[in-house]
Amino acid sequence: MIFLTVGTQFPFDRLVQAVDEAFDNGSIDEEVFAQIGETSYRPRNFGSAARLEKRVFDNYVKQASSIIGHAGMGTITMALYNHKPLLVMPRLKRYHEVVNNHQVALAKKFSELGHILVVYNADDLPDSICRLKNFIPKERIAAPSVVADRIRRFLNSLRD
Amino acid sequence: MVRHRKEVHPLSANLLATNPPATNPKTSGYMVTTKKMKICLAASAGGHTSQLLELSESWRGSHTFWITTASALREMLSKYGQVYIAGECNREHLLRVIVVLLRCARIVFRERPDVVISTGAAVGCITCFFSKLFGAKVVWIDSITNVERISLSGRLVRPIADLFLVQWPELAKKYSNVEYLGAVI
Repeated sequence: MIFLTVGTQFPFDRLVQAVDEAFDNGSIDEEVFAQIGETSYRPRNFGSAARLEKRVFDNYVKQASSIIGHAGMGTITMALYNHKPLLVMPRLKRYHEVVNNHQVALAKKFSELGHILVVYNADDLPDSICRLKNFIPKERIAAPSVVADRIRRFLNSLRD
Repeated sequence: MVRHRKEVHPLSANLLATNPPATNPKTSGYMVTTKKMKICLAASAGGHTSQLLELSESWRGSHTFWITTASALREMLSKYGQVYIAGECNREHLLRVIVVLLRCARIVFRERPDVVISTGAAVGCITCFFSKLFGAKVVWIDSITNVERISLSGRLVRPIADLFLVQWPELAKKYSNVEYLGAVI
C-alpha cells in the first residue's frame, strides 16, 4: 500500500490529482490511501480522508510500503523515522500552495543527501513512483545532543 | 497548573497582582549559581516545537515556561511548566500579528525570563524582541527547513541574538555571528 499525505494546513490537489492520473495510465499497481486535507477534489482511483487521527495516521505509515507527500519537514521526518521510502513534490508559491518556496530547497537538500526522492512537477511523477519501489532511504544521523550541549554551555556561562 | 488566557486580567491588573518584589541574586544571601535561571521556550506549533523539544537536555533543571501558538500542545508541553498560547500569526495577516504581539508582550512582562530559547517562527521572533527589551539573553536555533538562507524571523532576531545556531553548514559560512554544530533532526 502506498500512503499519500499532504498535511492538513492547506490542500495540495496538484499532487493528489497527479497520483490519480498515474493510476489511470498504469504507473501504480498497488493500493493507495490518501490524506488530502479539506478540498473538493475527490480521487477516482483510491480512498481518501481530509484528515486522520494521529493513531490512524501512524497506522497507515506503518503499513505503507512507501509514502508520497508534500515536502514538509513533518512528512520527511516521519518517513525517515519509520524507514519508509518517500517521494515528495514540493508545494509552490506560484500556485498558492504555500507562503514561500522553502519546500523546494528543503526537498532538494534531502534528496541530495539520499534520504528521499523528489519530483518538481507532476509530469515526472509516474517515473519516480516506479523508482520509489526500489529506493532505500539513507539513514539520517542528527546531532541534537551536540546542539543541546552548546546551548547548555552558553547557559552555564551566564551563571558564572 | 493550567491557566486559560481568556480569564486572565488585563495588563493593568497583572502589574499589580502578579509581579513579586524584585530580588537581586547577588544580595539576597544565596549564591548566584543556586538561583534557578528562568528560561522562556518559544516556538510555533508543529516542526518548530518538535525541534525545540529535541534540545530539552539543554534546559534540564532550569525553571522553564512555554509560549506557543496552538492550545492542542498545552498538555504535552505542560511538563515543562506554564504553557501560554499566543495564537497563530504570519506576515500575511497584520491584525493577527498585532494581537499576538500584545499577548507576547504581556506574557514576557509578567514572567521576566532570564533567557529565551526559540526555534521560530513569528511568535518566537516577537518573544525574543520583548524579552531582550527586559534584559533577557536570546538563543535562536534557525529551523532545519531553512536551507539556502536564514528564515525571515531569524534574520530579524540575528542582530539581537546572544547565541545564533543554524542547522546547515552553508548558512554558517554565509552569515557572520552564526554557528553550526549539527542538525537537531
